[in-house]
Amino acid sequence: MLKTQNLGYWYQDKSQPLFQDLNLTFDEGQSYAILGHSGTGKTTFLSLIAGLDKPKSGDIWLGDRSLKQIGLTNYRRHDVSIVFQAYNLFTYMSPLNNLLTAMAITGAEHAGDKFFARRTLNSLGIGEDLVERNVQHLSGGQQQRVAIARAMACDAPLVVADEPTGNLDEDNTQEVIDQFQQLAHQQHKCVIIVTHEPDVAARCDHQFRLENKQFTQLA
Amino acid sequence: MNFLKRAWLNVWAKKGRSVLLILVSSAILMFVLAGLLIRSAAVKATDQAKADVGATVTLSANRQAAFKKVQSSSSSSKSSRPKMTLTPVKLSDAAKIAKLSNVKSENVTSSTSVNASSYDVVSTTSGMGSSQGGPGNMKGGTSSGDTQINGVSATSLTTAFSDNQSKITKGRGITSADKNTNHVVIEKNLASQNDLTVGDTITVKKTTGSKAKVKLKIVGIYRASATASSSAGPMSSDPSNTMYTSYTLANTFKGSKYAGTADSVTFNVSNPAKVSSVKAAGKKLINTSSYSLSTDDASYQTVKASMSNVESFANKIVWLVAIAGTIILALIVILMIRERRFEIGVLLSLGEARWKIVAQFFTEMLMVIVVAVAIAGAGGKFVGDQLGSQLVAQSTTTQTTSSSTSTQPGGGQPGGGGMRGGNGGPGMQQASSTKAADTDLDISVSAVSLAELGGFGLAITFLSIMIASGGILRLEPKKVLIS
Repeated sequence: MLKTQNLGYWYQDKSQPLFQDLNLTFDEGQSYAILGHSGTGKTTFLSLIAGLDKPKSGDIWLGDRSLKQIGLTNYRRHDVSIVFQAYNLFTYMSPLNNLLTAMAITGAEHAGDKFFARRTLNSLGIGEDLVERNVQHLSGGQQQRVAIARAMACDAPLVVADEPTGNLDEDNTQEVIDQFQQLAHQQHKCVIIVTHEPDVAARCDHQFRLENKQFTQLA
Repeated sequence: MNFLKRAWLNVWAKKGRSVLLILVSSAILMFVLAGLLIRSAAVKATDQAKADVGATVTLSANRQAAFKKVQSSSSSSKSSRPKMTLTPVKLSDAAKIAKLSNVKSENVTSSTSVNASSYDVVSTTSGMGSSQGGPGNMKGGTSSGDTQINGVSATSLTTAFSDNQSKITKGRGITSADKNTNHVVIEKNLASQNDLTVGDTITVKKTTGSKAKVKLKIVGIYRASATASSSAGPMSSDPSNTMYTSYTLANTFKGSKYAGTADSVTFNVSNPAKVSSVKAAGKKLINTSSYSLSTDDASYQTVKASMSNVESFANKIVWLVAIAGTIILALIVILMIRERRFEIGVLLSLGEARWKIVAQFFTEMLMVIVVAVAIAGAGGKFVGDQLGSQLVAQSTTTQTTSSSTSTQPGGGQPGGGGMRGGNGGPGMQQASSTKAADTDLDISVSAVSLAELGGFGLAITFLSIMIASGGILRLEPKKVLIS
């Protein structure tokens, strides 16, 4: 589904790339964890596959079209959903409006948009008493679940998450990982999670470690 | 169109910030509206001045040319030096000028004096003795009498009556229908002294020719102003001894050779701005060595200059406030956008088009501006009233001062006495200054001014958003969201 072809990235000095000649394949219905220490370039890799930045060398393919062909804005709008460590919700909106806004921008069509959004939020533990409350009044775990619900509602084939459990306690972490697994296995999305927590990575179907400018698939 | 919904949700959720923005925008727009109102009121006042104040062109004998003629005479002896003769204005010439475009109406004036026969004239007693005996040899081509006759086309067209210095108290004034009649309008004091009223007949004696007696029928009684009495010099007859008749009757008193003539003809010009062109066109129709055309648009010029100052100042207010407002709002919007970088980043990560993000900010500001326009509309009239009256007071004082400085004493028209309608005389100048001082700005908030304000508000919003949105267009979501 998603392929990287000789992917490379560096900041200023080409001779010191973060990674180079990466050739990876990510399939739908599977979850992937990308592990690595700080500064190894895992978040940069995520920003490339999320369409937030352009690779310095190589290309990324979604199916039979490269991101260059699709265009980054179009790619972000229709093909990828991103879940951030800091949630990055619209702080002046309710969970419901966060979902409806994302659905409107991405053009995700669901029968009875409002009903669908409420059902999605409810399925992630955001009850009816919370769906119309301002998101700033929700706990960290609840906000992260709203962010996941937003990614689900957009119905993009690829879901990428940057340290999605970084701000959560153990219970919430387990719940969030369960949600990602459901996305992959029940909704047949390709889920790529960047994390530095081995426990989180262990729950994913595949694990990669980014080390010495190369990805190594763990057993 | 989701950006519209986002804009509304943002404005509604951040009420405190929205209220502050509304207050700042209202203050800016209130001053813009005040400027707009003053400007439009000044334009309106100038237009009104054209209609109200009016301007005149007067055809009269060319006194200067006649004086030069006397001076150039070779004789140096006082007794043999020729007398200055002034050619009376031919009504046929006046008729040609009356046909010119922009000439609204004309007033023929012909003055003379007669002696009282069936009544007693009003005598003024002062430290200098009685003034009875007439105004002296002040009127060209006429002998003196104790009663001043002002022959006019219509009393309403004379400055004294149009400026309300004199008022008809009984009966009616002289109109064009009184042409070739013996109808007369006499002064109130003269009437009460002689127990005369409308419908009575008086007899006067000509001062020229056969000195025959002529019967006059009183059709109206007028009251001369107190100023007119006090302004009369020691050599003048009491103003109460001034009667108004048709100019044809005044010509009859002067003698048969004055038929079809006048001392002067004053043409009222419908558009004061066209006075010069009427004068130029009129000059082509007359013999300029015998006659002269003089203009009087002092009142109009005074009001126009005064209003021009106000208009120009109002223009400056509008533009200065608009520019300052744009800068202030742009700075506020820049700060606002900076604190919403994450929101912009999320929108970009969702694939939202940059122009829609700019449109969202524009819509938010537009909502604020719409409310601000309504508030400014309510408060702008108050600010405009205060500012406008200050400006007019200041401007009119300056103009009145300069107007009275330029007024020359004894500026009456040649060929007649100072009583003949006061064309161009000090009395007229005084009247124009008074009129200019009375000019007030009618400041009212109309739909047009609100629409204009809306336009300014829209432009200010658009410019400030454009200036501020440079950051949005350059923003990279990765830097905001990942870094």
